[in-house]
Amino acid sequence: MQKKSYHIQGMHCSMCAMRLESLEDDLPGVHRASASYRRQRLDVEFDETRLTEAHLVEAIRALGYDVQT
Amino acid sequence: MTSLWIAFITGLTTGGLSCLAVQGGLLASSVAHRLEADVGRRNGMTHLSRKASRRPARLSGRPHQGVVPEAGADAAQPILLFLGAKLVAYTILGFLLGALGSILQLNALTRAILQLGIGVFMIGNALRMLNVHPMFSFFAFEPPSFVTRAIRRTSKRDVSIATPLILGAMTVLIPCGVTQAMMATAMGSGNALTGAVLMAAFTLGTSPVFFAVAYSATRLGKRLETTFVRVVAVLMLVLGLVAIETGMNMMGSPVSVSRLMRAAVGGRTTSAASDTLPPSTDAPQVYGVTTENDVQELAIEARPDGYFPPTQHAVANVASMLTVTTQNTRSCSRAFIIPALWVEKLLPETGSETIEIPPMAPGTVLRYSCSMGMYTGEIIFDR
Repeated sequence: MQKKSYHIQGMHCSMCAMRLESLEDDLPGVHRASASYRRQRLDVEFDETRLTEAHLVEAIRALGYDVQT
Repeated sequence: MTSLWIAFITGLTTGGLSCLAVQGGLLASSVAHRLEADVGRRNGMTHLSRKASRRPARLSGRPHQGVVPEAGADAAQPILLFLGAKLVAYTILGFLLGALGSILQLNALTRAILQLGIGVFMIGNALRMLNVHPMFSFFAFEPPSFVTRAIRRTSKRDVSIATPLILGAMTVLIPCGVTQAMMATAMGSGNALTGAVLMAAFTLGTSPVFFAVAYSATRLGKRLETTFVRVVAVLMLVLGLVAIETGMNMMGSPVSVSRLMRAAVGGRTTSAASDTLPPSTDAPQVYGVTTENDVQELAIEARPDGYFPPTQHAVANVASMLTVTTQNTRSCSRAFIIPALWVEKLLPETGSETIEIPPMAPGTVLRYSCSMGMYTGEIIFDR
């Protein structure tokens, strides 16, 4: 299991954090996603054997947010 | 009644837009699941795989707002259920907040401080939304993760009438900035029923925006969403300044915009009586003031659109009997306050109320307003 933290750009309310946390349910391989609007940050715990970081970043961008890795 | 209209209009404008930005995803989600199920049924599917139906939308880049496959008559039911549940939930919340306010027995000064707090909160939120500085992100309300997780899971449940109902009710857990300000106003009302009606009026006001956006299946793409947020932020900034202005009026502060403007135009806003009475002489009976047995009589008319005259002059070092009259006055000008004297009176719709004012030192400016700080006036003891 790999843990990564990302600085997210484009979050403008707590609902955005909720959307990012939905990766936990929607993206296979994501074990836990915790986002904070205040800190503009996303902490993700994922299974690197099922999901590559590139795919994870792509999924975050697909939600409409910019990621700084 | 005026305050209810203000709550409704606030809901219809900034409240609707601001709430939609925060809660729109929940509504879109409940509508989307219903429509997906309908599409599935029409295509002869007995079971709609949630994972299979979610993934393409999720990776399309716009999964969160207005994910409505097909808007039609079927869309109306979940939207109405959602909005109905939201209305009930916020009305109950308003009732509880009003009841809490009555227990705390908020006086005019406390309400003024609360109003100022609301103003600061709204301005802070507006600056946060405009990305002025990262420090303003502390004005954002972040629900605890167990709440967001529960909301998220509910929004992904199988289709049922209960889903939009639960999601609608759950919006009380993720109030937008304008809603939070309205919640503080409901508490400031100090009355459970008033709080309930205020929140109901506000929530009703937000409903047309929610309905229109969801029913027409408008997709708020990221670019449009950003513009949308900025518009809301500017409106919030204006409302925040208005809240500070009314809070200042409620405190009897001389530095509110309305009072500064009145000071700027000077004598032109003096009493109507002064227009009809002879010019000033040494006698104290000018500006509509009469004295008898060392007590002067002052009169104010509380009209639906404010107090008249807005400024009047009186004799210093003499006790006063101030009579405030109303005639079919149904606006908030009925709730009359003089902060400096801790006077709070709810005037009759038609009638009068007399208030004793102790002798005031020369140069004293006694400021009064309605309990919402919208209408103001002053008596200058300079004669």
